Amino acid sequence: MNAISIDRRRFFVSVAAVGGALVVGVQPRNAAAGALASGIAPWLSIASDDTVTVFVATPEIGNGVLTQCAMLVAEELGCAWSHIHAEPATPTFNYLNGELYTKAMGRLGFFAGRSTTPARMTTLLQVGASARERLRAAAAQRWQVPVSEIEARDSLLRHKSSGRTLRYGEVAEQAAKVSMAEEPALKPQSQWSLLGKSRPGKLGAAKVVDGSAVYGMDVRLPGMLYAALRQAPVHGGRLKSYDFEAIRQMPGVHSVVVVDPSEPRTNIKVPAPLPDLTQAASGVAVVAEHYWQARQALDALPVAWEAGPGADWATHEKISAAALAVCEAPAKEVLSKGDALGRLGQAGAKTVSAAYLTPFCDHVTMEPLNGTALVTPERTDLWHPSQNPQQAFAIAVEESGVHPSNVHVHQTLVGGGFGRRVHCDDVRMVVAVARKVPGRPVHVIWSREESMRQGRYRPLVATKMTASLGEDGLPDAFLARYSGVGASTTGLVTCAYANGPIPNFRVEGQTVPAHIRTGPYRGPNYNAHAFMVESFIDECAAAAGADPLDYRLKLLARFDDPAWTKCLKVVAEKSGWGGRLPRGQGRGVAISNWSATAPGQPKEGTTVAAVARVEVSRAGELKVRQIDMAFDCGQVIDRDGVLAQLEGGAVFGLNMSLNEMLTIRDGQVVEGNYNEYPMLRMGDLPDIRIHFDALSGNDRYSEVGEPPVGPIGPAIANAIFAATGKRIRQTPFRLQDLSWA
Amino acid sequence: MQAIVVNGKRLETDADPSTPLLWVLRDHLGLTGAKFGCGVGQCGACTVQIDGAAVRSCLAPLSAVGEGQVKTIEGLSADCSHPLQKAWIELNVAQCGYCQAGMLMAAEALLKAKPDPTDADIDAMVSNICRCGTYVRVRAGIHRAAAEIRKTRGA
Ligand code: FES
Ligand code: FES
Repeated sequence: MNAISIDRRRFFVSVAAVGGALVVGVQPRNAAAGALASGIAPWLSIASDDTVTVFVATPEIGNGVLTQCAMLVAEELGCAWSHIHAEPATPTFNYLNGELYTKAMGRLGFFAGRSTTPARMTTLLQVGASARERLRAAAAQRWQVPVSEIEARDSLLRHKSSGRTLRYGEVAEQAAKVSMAEEPALKPQSQWSLLGKSRPGKLGAAKVVDGSAVYGMDVRLPGMLYAALRQAPVHGGRLKSYDFEAIRQMPGVHSVVVVDPSEPRTNIKVPAPLPDLTQAASGVAVVAEHYWQARQALDALPVAWEAGPGADWATHEKISAAALAVCEAPAKEVLSKGDALGRLGQAGAKTVSAAYLTPFCDHVTMEPLNGTALVTPERTDLWHPSQNPQQAFAIAVEESGVHPSNVHVHQTLVGGGFGRRVHCDDVRMVVAVARKVPGRPVHVIWSREESMRQGRYRPLVATKMTASLGEDGLPDAFLARYSGVGASTTGLVTCAYANGPIPNFRVEGQTVPAHIRTGPYRGPNYNAHAFMVESFIDECAAAAGADPLDYRLKLLARFDDPAWTKCLKVVAEKSGWGGRLPRGQGRGVAISNWSATAPGQPKEGTTVAAVARVEVSRAGELKVRQIDMAFDCGQVIDRDGVLAQLEGGAVFGLNMSLNEMLTIRDGQVVEGNYNEYPMLRMGDLPDIRIHFDALSGNDRYSEVGEPPVGPIGPAIANAIFAATGKRIRQTPFRLQDLSWA
Repeated sequence: MQAIVVNGKRLETDADPSTPLLWVLRDHLGLTGAKFGCGVGQCGACTVQIDGAAVRSCLAPLSAVGEGQVKTIEGLSADCSHPLQKAWIELNVAQCGYCQAGMLMAAEALLKAKPDPTDADIDAMVSNICRCGTYVRVRAGIHRAAAEIRKTRGA
C-alpha cells in the first residue's frame, strides 16, 4: 500500500493540549524552529466531551469530501461515528502559519475539485493513528498497565483483562503530553473496517433535510444589507451611465454602488493557488434593506453600457465559424508522435475526416452566485460559497486592501460548483460592492439571469480530425486541429490513443480571441474532446466496416492498461451489446479517461466506458432509454459516494449533450433562465446502470467527479448513428436534425 | 403589517404585499430553508406548501397567501423524523443539497395526494431541477418513504 504513506522525511506529527482537547497536526520538518510557536495547524482535535473535529481545507460542494475526510480519520482513530464532525481549515490561519496546510497538501490544498488527493488521505490517516496511539498510551499510564493490553474502539479505551474503560475525552489532555519516539505505522489496508466497506452516512445530511444547512445564500448578519448586481452585458464592456434619481425613492433603497475595474487596487499580494486573480467586471449594484427591494430597484434603474471590443464578436455563429475555419489550416504544433503529416499525405490509404463543434455552456449551479462581505478599514470578513477558499482569501485581500492577517474567509456550504466557483471572480465582485458600503455587511446576489449571463463558461470548442486507416482498418495516423474560445488540448493530447494505439499522432491548435469569458466546467475540455474523439473513432470503425466495440477492443489492446478492455467488456455484457434492435433504435459505445495527475497514461486517473441505448422517431425525436457505465478508478474508499458521483456525472453528461447551449446576439449571452436553458428533470431520465465490475484494484484512488461526463455524449451520438445512419457532430442533440426515412 | 401562518405560527411582516412569499420567508421571517434558484417558477427550489399543495413561492405574492397555512421545510418535522427525511438520510440522496428542500416539500405534497405513487406520478409532481443529478435517489427516497408511511398506518 505505497500510495498511502506519509512522507516522514518532510513532515512530523505535532500535538498540543488546547482547552482540555488533544489537538493533532503535521508540520514540515524544515520549518524554522520557532516558526511554529504560534501553534500547530490542527488537522484533528479530540475534546474532553469526546467530540472529534476534523479540519478540512477543501469545501464541501456536494461530493462528500467532508464525510470522506472524517472516514479516513475514523478508520485509524477508532472513534464513534456519531462523535465526529468536520470544520473548515481557514486560509487566514494557513497564511499566518507558514502555509502549514498547503505545504502538506500542495498548491491546490484548498481547492474543491477532487477529494482523494494522496497527500490529504495520508495525512488524515496518520493523524488518526497518531492520536489513537497517544490515547492508548495515556490510558496505559493512568492504569499502570502495558499499552499492548489496551484496545481503542468506538471512542472507548478498554483494558482487556480487567474490563476497565475510559472515554477518549477523559484522557485527551493527558494524551497531548505523551511523547512518542516514532509515529505509528498505518494499518494495512486488509485491516480496514470502514474504508472501502460502507458509508457511515453523509455528514450534515440532517441539516440539509431540515432546512438548517447554511449556504452562501442563507448567511444572515445583524444590520445586513442586500445588493442586486448587474455587470456589463457584453463581457469586457463598461458602464456608461445610470440614473440613481430614478430609483432613489423606491422602498428600502440605500444606495447605488459602481464597480469600476480601472480604479486602483492595492498591491498586497498573498500566495494564491491560481496566479490569475481575475479582474473586476464593470458593474452597478443597487443596495437596499431587502433583496426583493434591491432587485426591483435595479430592474427600474436606467443604465447604459458601452459594449467595447466584444461587439465585434456579435454572434455565436460568427465565433463558431471562426473556430471551424482555424481548424482547416495548419496551426501551432502541440504534440507530435511519429510522422502523422507524412502518413496522411500518402496516396492510397483510406482516410476519414470530420469537424466537430461544442458550444458555450453555463454551469447553472442551483445556488446562484452570491456572497456576503463586511469591509472596514481594519478588517474584512467574507462569508462565501467558494470552491477555492484560499483563492477567495487572496482576492479579498487585494480587493479590500486590508492586511491579510485581518482578512477572514468564512466558508459556507456550496450549492453546486462544477468549476464555476474556482476562480472566485464572484468574490471579487462581492468585496468590490461591499467596500463601498464600509461598516455594513452586504449580501450581494446575482439573479439567475445575471448568473447565467455573467458566467465563466464551458469553452466553445471546434476540432477537426483526420485519420488514415492501416491495412487492419485501425487508424495508423491521426491529426487533430482544435480551436475555439478557452479551448485547450485536454482530451486530445491526453487521450489514450496518443500513447500506443495510434503510432503517428499529431495535435495542433490555436484559439479564437472572442470576448466571451470561459473557465473550468466539470472535466474542462475533456468534456468536449471525449465527445469528439470517441465519435470520430466510431466514424473510423464505420469506415473500416467494423463493429464499434470490437474496433475499440483491438485498438486498446495496444494500450498498456487492461482495465480499459475490461471496462468495455463489462459494459458490453451488461448492456446487451450486439442484441438486435428494431429500426430507429441503436446502441453506441464510448470510453474515456480523466486524470488530474498523469493524464493519458496507463493505469492513471479514472476510465469510464458507457453504452447508450436510444430510440429516434422518424420525425427525429430522441429518447435515451438506457445508460450502462463501467469504470476503473483503481480502488474506492466510499462506495456509495462513488456511486452517487457517477450517477450525477451521468446526468450531467446527459444534460450537457442533449440540452445545453448558450447563444450570443449583439455580443451578449441571450439565455437567462431555465425556460431558455432546459434541464433534464426526473421524468426525462433513462435507466442509469453503474457497474463496479471493472475496478482494477490498482494502487490509486482516482477522482470520479469529472470522468463520467466524458463518454455519455459520444455513446449517445454513436447510438444515434446506429439507429438512423446519421452522424451527429455537434451538441446539443436537441437542436440537431435527427429525422430519418 | 400583515400576518401569515407559517408552520402553525402566526408571524407578522412589514414586507410589501407584492413581495414574493419566497423573499418574505427568507429575508423578513428568517426562514432560509426554501431556496432561491430561478425566481421564475422553473426550478422548484423554492417549493413550500400552502394548505397542503406544493407552491413555487418565488411566484406567489405575499398578498395571495391570505389565511392559507404555509408549510416550509422547517415545519416538516421537529426532529428529522418525517419518513421522507429519514429516507433521504438513509439513501444519501443529497449531493450539494441546495435543491432538496424543494424536492422534499414537493414530495410530501405528492404523498398526501397519492400515498402509493407510481413513477409517472412522481415525474408529474416532482418536476424540480437538481443540477447535481440526484434524481435516481430522489425517486428511491419517495418510494421508501411512501412504503414506511403505509406500513405505520397499518394499511
Ligand atoms: S426559485 Fe422558485 S421555481 Fe425556481
Ligand atoms: S443536490 Fe445539488 S442541486 Fe440537487
